[in-house]
Amino acid sequence: MRYCSPLVRAALAAIMLVALPGLAAAQMSHQHASEAACDETDLHCATRVTPAFGPDGTLWLAWMAGGQISVASSKDQGATFSTPVQVTRERLNLDWGPDARPKLAIDAKGGIALAFSIFRDQAFNGQVLATRSSDGGRRFDQPKPITANNESQRFEAIGFDPSGAVFAAWLDKRNRVPAQQRGQKYDGAGLFVATSKDGGATYSDAKLVADNTCECCRLGLAFDGAGHPVVVFRNIFEGGVRDHAIVTFTDLATPGEVHRVSRDDWQIAACPHHGPSLAISPAGTYHVTWYTNGKTRKGLFYAQSRDGGKTFSDPLPIGQPNRSPSRPQIAAGPQGLVMVWKEFDGQKTTINQMISHDDGATWSKPTAIADTADSSDHPLLVSDRRHTYLSWMTKADGYHFLAIGSEP
Amino acid sequence: MKRHLLAALILLGTLAPAPAAEQGALKQFERGSWQQLLRAHKGHPTLVHFWGVTCGPCKVELPELGQFMKDHPGVDVVTISADLVPNLPDATRSMLDRAGLASAENWIFGDGFAERLRYEIDPAWQGDIPRTMLVARDGTITTIEGSAEIADLSKWSDAQAAAIR
Repeated sequence: MRYCSPLVRAALAAIMLVALPGLAAAQMSHQHASEAACDETDLHCATRVTPAFGPDGTLWLAWMAGGQISVASSKDQGATFSTPVQVTRERLNLDWGPDARPKLAIDAKGGIALAFSIFRDQAFNGQVLATRSSDGGRRFDQPKPITANNESQRFEAIGFDPSGAVFAAWLDKRNRVPAQQRGQKYDGAGLFVATSKDGGATYSDAKLVADNTCECCRLGLAFDGAGHPVVVFRNIFEGGVRDHAIVTFTDLATPGEVHRVSRDDWQIAACPHHGPSLAISPAGTYHVTWYTNGKTRKGLFYAQSRDGGKTFSDPLPIGQPNRSPSRPQIAAGPQGLVMVWKEFDGQKTTINQMISHDDGATWSKPTAIADTADSSDHPLLVSDRRHTYLSWMTKADGYHFLAIGSEP
Repeated sequence: MKRHLLAALILLGTLAPAPAAEQGALKQFERGSWQQLLRAHKGHPTLVHFWGVTCGPCKVELPELGQFMKDHPGVDVVTISADLVPNLPDATRSMLDRAGLASAENWIFGDGFAERLRYEIDPAWQGDIPRTMLVARDGTITTIEGSAEIADLSKWSDAQAAAIR
């Protein structure tokens, strides 16, 4: 059969489905149940896409598709992309949790550090793998575990400090084992950090910053004016309260005191799968957005700290409470602060934005800037010298990259 | 060929629902499934448990629920795996088996647009798991966020049993 009309092909496919009902059902439900539009490694099949700008203004994307991590770059703000480079060498059981995604960071010379998590066994124990490219993204080293310890790790965050060292933070369950050996209950996971002086090829020994933090939410990472890392995370406070905490480092290896961002009083023995976002503006103000379902408040909130994270302003509610606002992201860009989040009306997911030109004192009215009627990634923000951009992957409408205008 | 296509589709239509009825098979939770589930259990005290294979607290709670089901035959126990993963059905089934929940009514999210599925269940639910919804005989729903205390579940079950005496 040299020529195969679409109808004939459909008929053959249907016949094959009948012949192999088990396989067919699995394939059909897979397409339907998947968050991905397709199963290849291309960008349009991706479920998670993470952007970063290089020092020369090149946009880089790292994404998760077809069980692999790929990278491509764009010289025209996302209009066209280079041929993708595969970071992973084989199909892996990548961490598909709602708050997981590949991370990438680019140094002043264009070196790229990259990290991501996989499920390394049937019990869904995680492992953080890290790699780098020292030739401007043409090839990446074989990804290697970020730490020698083999207990479950997930939710890594990475960034270059001004000296060119990579700072990495992640959640790690290694302290569960000794606790259980002592017959003690162990809640959550430890917040661990390490640094790399070779652009992300090798990392220092892991160091514990805070134990018993919430084990299933993304971390927020930013650098203050002095280049010190600041990490915001969902902690487990006394009584199993999963509220947010923040820590500023005095150098890459020395965490300062852990402070509480707000008292939402969300006492829950569960995985919220919903982590915070942090930005530090040129004035040195910390800006944090987060989700809670606490006794004190429920929904998305924003607060700022003008004393290096010691105290925070009263939380400001974000979004329409009847539209389940979620997945907040905040960025300090050349035109001010930008905040984006998702809302859902029962049919459609909308990305909403607010802008502040006075360092978070006042915010513009929320505006809807994009929407989709199927599953989508979290909305992310990334800035170059001129603009802040929304980066958003959707199953039905593909990848969006759009400049966020300066609102009146 | 057209006739073949039609025949194939008819055959497919008759075969498709069969796997879901098999013992131990996971039902696909899709748009409309929530209302369908509530209708099917109308008038019966029903415990609906939302969980996921990667959720730490869920792993601890699941066997406790298995024991609860054994101890409370008057309660319909329904589980819904509210996570998504390409190879999830096997892992889900194996965890349910080990927890003693193989004979419960077990569902798995079958639509990648999880936001919409959650919205049909509870518009305010952002996806945190575990989560348990206790549906009383009269349809009243009590939601327990996070791990449930088995003692609370037993108390609810006893109250349900008392209600018909």
